[in-house]
Amino acid sequence: MEDEDLSVTPLVELNGIVKRFPNVVANDRVNFSLMPGEVHALLGENAAGKTTLMNILYGLYQPDDGEIYVKGKRVRIRSPADSIKLGIGMVHQSFRLIPVHTVWENVVLGLTEAGFILNKKKLTEIVKRVCEEYGWNIDPNARVWQLSVGERQQVELLKLLIRNAEVLILDEPTSVLTPQETRSLFKAIRIMAKKGKGIIFITHKLEEVFEVSDRVTVMRKGRVVATKLTNEVTAEELANLMIGRPVLFKLERPEVKKGGVVLETKGLKAMGDRGVLALDGVNLQVHSGEIVGIAGVAGNGQEELIEVLAGLRRADGGKVFIDGEDVTNKGVGHLIGKGVAYIPPESTRWALIRDMRLVENIALKLYRSKNFSGRLTINWRKLFEFSKKLVEEYGIAAHGPSTLAGTLSGGNLQRVVLARELSATLDGKVPKLILAAYPTKGLDVAATEFVQGLLLKYRSMGSAIIFLSEDLEEIMMLSDRIAVISRGRIVGEFSPREKTVEEVGMMMVKGSMA
Amino acid sequence: MFKLERHTDISRKTSGLIVFLSLLLAFFVTGIIFYLLNVDVIQFYLIICNVFITPALLLQVVFRSIPIILASLGLVVAFRMGFWNIGAEGQIYMGMIAATGMVILHVFYGAIPASLMLVVMGAVSFLAGGAWCLVPASLKVRLGVNEVLTTLMLNYIAMLLVDYLVYGPWRDPEGWGFALSIPFPDYATLTFGGHPSMAGIIISIAVATLVYVLFKYTKLGFMLSVLGKSGEVAKYAGIPVGRVTLLGSLISGGIAGLGGLYVVSGMIGRLRPRISPGYGYTAIIVAMLAQLNPWLILPAGIFFGGLLTAGDALQSSLRLPFSVITVFQSIIFLCIILAEFFRRYRVVLKR
Repeated sequence: MEDEDLSVTPLVELNGIVKRFPNVVANDRVNFSLMPGEVHALLGENAAGKTTLMNILYGLYQPDDGEIYVKGKRVRIRSPADSIKLGIGMVHQSFRLIPVHTVWENVVLGLTEAGFILNKKKLTEIVKRVCEEYGWNIDPNARVWQLSVGERQQVELLKLLIRNAEVLILDEPTSVLTPQETRSLFKAIRIMAKKGKGIIFITHKLEEVFEVSDRVTVMRKGRVVATKLTNEVTAEELANLMIGRPVLFKLERPEVKKGGVVLETKGLKAMGDRGVLALDGVNLQVHSGEIVGIAGVAGNGQEELIEVLAGLRRADGGKVFIDGEDVTNKGVGHLIGKGVAYIPPESTRWALIRDMRLVENIALKLYRSKNFSGRLTINWRKLFEFSKKLVEEYGIAAHGPSTLAGTLSGGNLQRVVLARELSATLDGKVPKLILAAYPTKGLDVAATEFVQGLLLKYRSMGSAIIFLSEDLEEIMMLSDRIAVISRGRIVGEFSPREKTVEEVGMMMVKGSMA
Repeated sequence: MFKLERHTDISRKTSGLIVFLSLLLAFFVTGIIFYLLNVDVIQFYLIICNVFITPALLLQVVFRSIPIILASLGLVVAFRMGFWNIGAEGQIYMGMIAATGMVILHVFYGAIPASLMLVVMGAVSFLAGGAWCLVPASLKVRLGVNEVLTTLMLNYIAMLLVDYLVYGPWRDPEGWGFALSIPFPDYATLTFGGHPSMAGIIISIAVATLVYVLFKYTKLGFMLSVLGKSGEVAKYAGIPVGRVTLLGSLISGGIAGLGGLYVVSGMIGRLRPRISPGYGYTAIIVAMLAQLNPWLILPAGIFFGGLLTAGDALQSSLRLPFSVITVFQSIIFLCIILAEFFRRYRVVLKR
């Protein structure tokens, strides 16, 4: 797009969109517009509200407030069917294709114009023609499972293009692509823009913003913090806008003398879920009495790292040592025995069973402790007493250990996980290593402080702690040491006093020492 | 507009009431179908009720319910760990084969002292049924093969294996050419005080107690429950998912195998083809009806044993084919599934 031409009606205009979820405001009075022929990047960290906003435009969510205009007309989009009618299409991060069907069959699915009886010849012709326009080389008769990831994405785009979508929403389209595939995608995007289509490009990668977009809107914590023409902004500015400035509030951090090395990894490698290398030689040491914060833009290997350390993901290379013992790929059970506590991401979903009672959830790991069980049997009476104590100690709002976990609120469930992981160790001692993945995510201020306080308390008692957070300020505040992870490698380690939030943010985004 | 809302907690009383109503519904729906087929519906209901109140018939009812109860108790173990074992029928047949094999070993080769016969037969039937369940379990653990298909398919293999044995190598040489094994000697027959039903009742109660204890007090039972609620959480908690799955399915198939032992050693006294009228399939319905509670399996199993007995009566008095009982069972099953739905969701009127 050249300049902002006021005589042209925007393809899409979002005015004051508000979307609330329990405990969070995902979109807070968001304004956004898309002009014909424009590539508009939507930049922000995970959970900044980008995808929520686009799901509203695509009809998957209903906004709680605000207006949507498409080509100047106010509309209500009740479902994806509505949005498709309005010429809006979306390519999700996970593709919505049927692998055993052919390309043209996938394209034609839901295409009402195709009529009741399918004319295969005509349809494959159309598919071929569109492919040629965009320089793609897909056989319409190929089965989708035979295609590469990049080609599958092209099929998704094909679906939209054949339906004459004028607004294309691409949700982090490059996250699954190889560099070559990315280049080819960008070329196709430029062709679409030239034809007058509008493209919304969701990303958290700075370099892509500069490579492909005309305009960029930055979101943070549900709000739009800036909308700028891409050629009028620098990478530093965008990084600052995206990460944000620190809001300082007080946190008692007693001095703790650092102890010996508890955890050490040497050249740790592991594959991610998509079959690409997620950890590419991680070297990390964590001492007792120390909190090490892992800072990184989402999807750079931090979750895979913590899963390998918890024993839930296989290490494909390198070693993990706890107290000098080689525990690489020894399995979850062994690590629990070594005193590793793990608060996983979305812990209320993956670390709890909602239709079991609290006492059973507390016993999830503890049932094998000698203190609570014999060779074959479990001493439920003792566990019940113990759980009762924890319910009080952690201020869990429940009638008692017999309460079904599913009846508690998210904040209380988080407390149950914390109680189990921190206080219900097999040997009754303080956990040796605490892996805390986003333990404060989605919590209100008081609950956040409670969790942070707990981590500091266990640090004082000598636990070694690894801490993940999407909130860089929180990492800066809580950690004794910060390790920045980028593309599966630790690219920098330093004390939070040595660097500013901006410098760390830059390092996260660029993937090297600033 | 109607909307569905998930129940988070439902009292045991409401839950029981829903199941009871679903049973009533099943009787009602069956009545309508039979009415449309010009069956004397009142007579039909009376015959079924009669089975449960006539003492002489009641003994027969209990007798026929034992294999159902045992197989069903096995299924409780599998279903609670989220292993959808549809193969109790095959596991019953394997139990029968193993028991008969021991008798043949004893009679023809003199192996196993007579005094130990029942104990050995019990152990071997358990292992045979368990092994039959271990096959699909290990396929699931190793290769991720869906157990519903494999357990079901193994049923036919086990059934045909019985056919092969009794038409072939195990045919009784003095059986006038019929497809039968040799009759079991007295000391290989399950009775208590001269009543095979009594022995069956004792075994059933004992196994129900063991299953109850397994889930109430043992580590293995807890691991099985956690696995059944969420495989992801089980992995997270460090539960050895593969080993627990294998062990659980061994127990599940093993208990069904004991059901097979009871059929040949307590009920019939020899092995013959197609001996089971679908005990293993009925057991699935019973397990669902009893909501996987080992104590409730006993009355639920007796109810279905009653239906089987009523089937015989219906054949003679109303000249209905035995398959009407299968129809009735299936309708009950559908109604139980309906009940399951209403135990999970509440229908609310919403605008």
